[in-house]
Amino acid sequence: MKNQNRMQAKPAVFKSPVMALLGLFMLVASGCAERDAGDGIAINQIILPTDTLLNLACADAGIWRETCVLSDPENPYAGVITAEFNPNNEDGPSKFDLNAEIPAGETGAKARFYLWATALARFPSGENQWYTARALHELYNYNSDPLIQEQALKAYRSNLDNFFGSVTFFECCGGVSFSVTLNEQVADDLYRTDSTGWVRLIPGDPLNAQSLIAEWGYTYRPATPPDFNDGLVFVSQF
Amino acid sequence: MADSKIFESMKRFFSVLTVSLFLSISFAGQANAVDVVTTHKDESGWKLQVNGSDYYIKGMVWGYTPRGQNYTFNLWSHSDDHIRDVLDYDFGLMKAAGINTIRSFAMIPPKWVTYVYEKHGIMTVINPLMGRYGYTIGGRWVPNTDYSDELTRATLKADMLELVDQYKNTPGVLMFAFGNESNYGLSWSSFEIENLPVGEQNTAKARHLYSLFNEVMAAGKKIAPNHPFTIVNGDIQYIDLIAELCTDMDLLGSNAYRGKGFTSLWREVDEKLDMPVVFFEFGSDAFNARTYEEDQYSQAVVLKEQWQEMYNKAAGNGEEGNSIGGFVFEWRDEWWKYLQIENLETQDNNASWSNQAYLFDWAEGKNNMNEEWFGVTALGPANSDGVSTARPRMAYDVLSEIWHMDPYLNKKAAFNQAINNMNLEFHALKGEVRLLKSENKESKQKLTFTGGSFFAEGVVKGSEIDVTERGENGTEYSDGEMMFLDFGFQPNEKVSGQFTLNILGNVADLEPLEIRYGRRGAPIFFEAQNLGTLDDTSTVADTFIAFEGRERVEIYDFDATYEGEDFDLTAFYHTPRYHWKNEGDFFGLVAEATDIGGMDIWNAKAPEGVEFAGKGKFDGLKIIAGPEVYWGANPKVVVKYQKTIGNTEFAFMHSEDLARRGEGTGSSGATTRQTRQTTLYAKRGLAKDTQLELGLLISAGEKIDDQFTRTDGQNVILDEIDFEDTLGFRAKLSFPLFGTKSYIATYHAGLVADGGAVLRDFGITDPSALPYSSQGNKQEYEAGMMMNFGNFMLYPKIMYRDNLVHANPFIEPSTSGGILNPGLNPRDTDNDPFAVLGNREARSAEVFLTYDPTGASFFYDWDNDWAEDARFAFNIGGNYTEYPTFTDANLFFFAPARANASFGAGLPAEDVWSVSSRMVFNPNNRAKYILNLKSGFQQSTGNPTGGTRKFQELHGKAVFGNKHIISGYIKKDAFGPYDFQRQFNVTFPEQYKIDYQILLDGSGDQSRSTSTNATSVGIRALYRTNDPDAIVPSGFEEQGDYIFQTVFYFTYRF
Repeated sequence: MKNQNRMQAKPAVFKSPVMALLGLFMLVASGCAERDAGDGIAINQIILPTDTLLNLACADAGIWRETCVLSDPENPYAGVITAEFNPNNEDGPSKFDLNAEIPAGETGAKARFYLWATALARFPSGENQWYTARALHELYNYNSDPLIQEQALKAYRSNLDNFFGSVTFFECCGGVSFSVTLNEQVADDLYRTDSTGWVRLIPGDPLNAQSLIAEWGYTYRPATPPDFNDGLVFVSQF
Repeated sequence: MADSKIFESMKRFFSVLTVSLFLSISFAGQANAVDVVTTHKDESGWKLQVNGSDYYIKGMVWGYTPRGQNYTFNLWSHSDDHIRDVLDYDFGLMKAAGINTIRSFAMIPPKWVTYVYEKHGIMTVINPLMGRYGYTIGGRWVPNTDYSDELTRATLKADMLELVDQYKNTPGVLMFAFGNESNYGLSWSSFEIENLPVGEQNTAKARHLYSLFNEVMAAGKKIAPNHPFTIVNGDIQYIDLIAELCTDMDLLGSNAYRGKGFTSLWREVDEKLDMPVVFFEFGSDAFNARTYEEDQYSQAVVLKEQWQEMYNKAAGNGEEGNSIGGFVFEWRDEWWKYLQIENLETQDNNASWSNQAYLFDWAEGKNNMNEEWFGVTALGPANSDGVSTARPRMAYDVLSEIWHMDPYLNKKAAFNQAINNMNLEFHALKGEVRLLKSENKESKQKLTFTGGSFFAEGVVKGSEIDVTERGENGTEYSDGEMMFLDFGFQPNEKVSGQFTLNILGNVADLEPLEIRYGRRGAPIFFEAQNLGTLDDTSTVADTFIAFEGRERVEIYDFDATYEGEDFDLTAFYHTPRYHWKNEGDFFGLVAEATDIGGMDIWNAKAPEGVEFAGKGKFDGLKIIAGPEVYWGANPKVVVKYQKTIGNTEFAFMHSEDLARRGEGTGSSGATTRQTRQTTLYAKRGLAKDTQLELGLLISAGEKIDDQFTRTDGQNVILDEIDFEDTLGFRAKLSFPLFGTKSYIATYHAGLVADGGAVLRDFGITDPSALPYSSQGNKQEYEAGMMMNFGNFMLYPKIMYRDNLVHANPFIEPSTSGGILNPGLNPRDTDNDPFAVLGNREARSAEVFLTYDPTGASFFYDWDNDWAEDARFAFNIGGNYTEYPTFTDANLFFFAPARANASFGAGLPAEDVWSVSSRMVFNPNNRAKYILNLKSGFQQSTGNPTGGTRKFQELHGKAVFGNKHIISGYIKKDAFGPYDFQRQFNVTFPEQYKIDYQILLDGSGDQSRSTSTNATSVGIRALYRTNDPDAIVPSGFEEQGDYIFQTVFYFTYRF
């Protein structure tokens, strides 16, 4: 029987791969444990930027299809939910809540850009593009940076090129909401300063804005004061 | 007077009736007399005698498997008319050739044994295989029969003797034979035997085999004393054991493949056994593996010389005198033998084993035996009666000439002279002419039209709103027509393939109740918006533009194979492909792609790619690559190398995604990120029925350093993926425990260590609902115990799973005083390196009871609906799963944006359950009833809104007379029939379907088929009520309380 058993014995090499796998199991199993307290960093509080110096993460930051803002280390909203407004749950959290909580004026302008550019990168809509353009416009109002001026114009144009028929909703008069056509709003933002009080992106005569809009391929028929809602923008070339 | 006449008339009538009955019974008794078959030895040698007359067996191994079918095909389940057509065709040809006996692997029912005997004069050997290819022992299917096991021996003996008893008085039975080369299948393992030196192990096993054979034969002869008993041995291996143990055997049955002659076999049998010899298999294939073409001549020459030797060895010729005949293998080619479930419509040229005795095509290191080419007739297409034709090869004519001589009536010199002078050139010419005519008819070598089907339907549909508003005019009618044309091609010997064209006529409007293949041709509508001009500022209504007549013709499927010396290369497009689970794919990297019907619904064209399968010097290497090698796969390449070292089987695999798919899977299945995986697998048997499997996984290395968020108490933590998060390990130990087949398994996987498809024990019909997941981020433990009690199987299983990192809760972000609290969002698999979804924490337990008295038609085989042959078989069981935690957010594919979108929130914690039962009734071979019942409380697979649903379902199918099929379902509060409906949590209060189909082709086999394109007419009705509170998906609005439709359809298969 002993001889027979010896005949059945195999060289150790046949078993070693199995043992190696078992060893790997021990290694892997030790790695497959829950995270401990030392892993990662707490990110409960992020201080919003209050300055107006904006470093664009890439050439088209804030313009639709470009999502580099999501990996911009200066973007406080990169990891933050920017939920779209849900008409079926009007009281639910949305990007407008975050927007409302950003300090008004100069100290909040940069944060506003990051918020809306983040929302745009995640969800392509004319609304997100327009608010991003406005945030850039506001920043330019404070820092007069020609790069930001150019970026704001690109963002406004993207609104016309990519989201021509988009609308957003404003609320007034005791909670009554009404829609605003964003192509007209873009043209108004470039043409007049009445609603924002910011400097013009196209300096000089408002007709310069009309000319630029025409260069972009659109025709703008401004509203007639005092009714600022009857302006019209047409596509003049396809 | 009148009464007297009536009485006389009645008397005469009853007298005549009595005499008639007596005569009928007398003649019937004569017709049904059982032949007395004996072996007889005198000074001239051994003979077989039937009723005292010499009987030399001019036999043929007969079977009937049409093109496109495989071993599951059962002729005897068809109508008597069809069986008669087949038998008359085949046995008419065989009788003409002089064949007097057949051997069949499938048991021929007694009445047909008698039929072929009485009508064609051909006798039958009853040859049960006696566990050669597995057997049901104690209710459990045992693939490798252990002839040493007492229960196995008792079961086999009882079953064999029952068969002997059944056939003992059947006219036409020549003899009983048991097994089929059973000495080559001694592959069970046992501690006692494996402790012996290797050389003695099989001898020890063979002792058990032959002693059992003898027990059966000894007892059988008492039951059927008028018939000889034998075994079917592989050649004369273990002849000494046979001599020692098979003392009750009347003659030696042997399968002998020794080339043109049988060398020393006669002498050895004569010396050691002193009994007559019958070859139960011998012959030659008709394909030349060297020239790669049909070789009728070589086959015929081999058979001629074999028979000449057999005749010389018959009694009275001065030699051993122990040849009493044989059965040529085989009557007709079988196109299923290679691969067995694939390429059933084509005759494979693959040589699967080597035999140096067949010198005409043998070459060193090459296989030369072509399993699909052994017929003395070639398998042809069906004739007008639906009978597969048989094209006689040269061997048929040569054998016919030989068989028309009797070795006992002709002197040795006479038959030798006749055989030697045979005009082989003439027979060769006849064979070639038949071949050319056949090829001309089928044009097979280049391009063949192999068949197809035509389908037409008319649909009437409506909804509550339509009917309420428009009354009788509220229903809509549409019609549809579709044709499939199948082609095969074989431009040369090494390349063959097939493709199917689909042609659409109109496309019936079936949706939303039914979504079906062909919708690619339905009209689509574009909304054209008026943008206005400077001069025209008025609002113009949107207009719709319809695009009709699209995509009338498309290639439905395609595959082509190049068979080389060291590898096979297969290109495939929408043809079924199987997983690699049984060849080392422990983590399921290559998923099965057999749900062609499911893909068709969405016009998906998976699987699509190319496979390299090494052999010869590349044996063990397999590569698959393509744009979608299984449904939903990213474009990828997978490499596998498998090798057995010692007693351990190893497999290495690497899968590399080359890009990311741009389209979702099905209606709205999300696309997945591009990734890569590497696995190492080892399997080793440790003891009898004990096996250890180990696997190592490295997955998604590209995600190392990716950031993710998680919670730790009240804190939100930003963390990163490390290398160890890409590692996974899986182990499974299978072992016997108190007579059960048990297993324990564990699966540990790092956060991003995702594996592949989950493969269940019993494949797609497995009722198990254990919540397996291919995703990582888990510590999983599982155990199961398969218990068999007679024909019952009880299979409880449990699973426990924890996550390494839990799903993220939703924490609303907020800002206060310029400080942003970023909140937290449920993860998703697009924007985060991982998410907790199907791999969520779970505690699951289930048990299923299965009753199946016929183990060969396993209850969980994919085709069991029609293959199950038990009078009654069923299963019943249930699963209860506790999900103690919520999940992250699932994704769905949002087609308009051609991108994934998130459901935004995860599924809540929930305890879910399901119970189900499936029953199959076969009251006789003309009827079948199948019932499926299911009830459960289940969550959506995506949308968290709408809650968890409790539902009941009953599905049924009844087949009458192999011609009438009634099927349908009743569902209450169940999800809709398509995956997206569960994904979006869409249920319906009531769903009904009834379908009545009449098969028209007469053969009846299609009633047992899962195919829906049988030649038939039918009518189908569907009705569904809508939940008024349900969120109706876009495109399904305004249906009101209910919708319905009726479909009239006609299918013609040609």
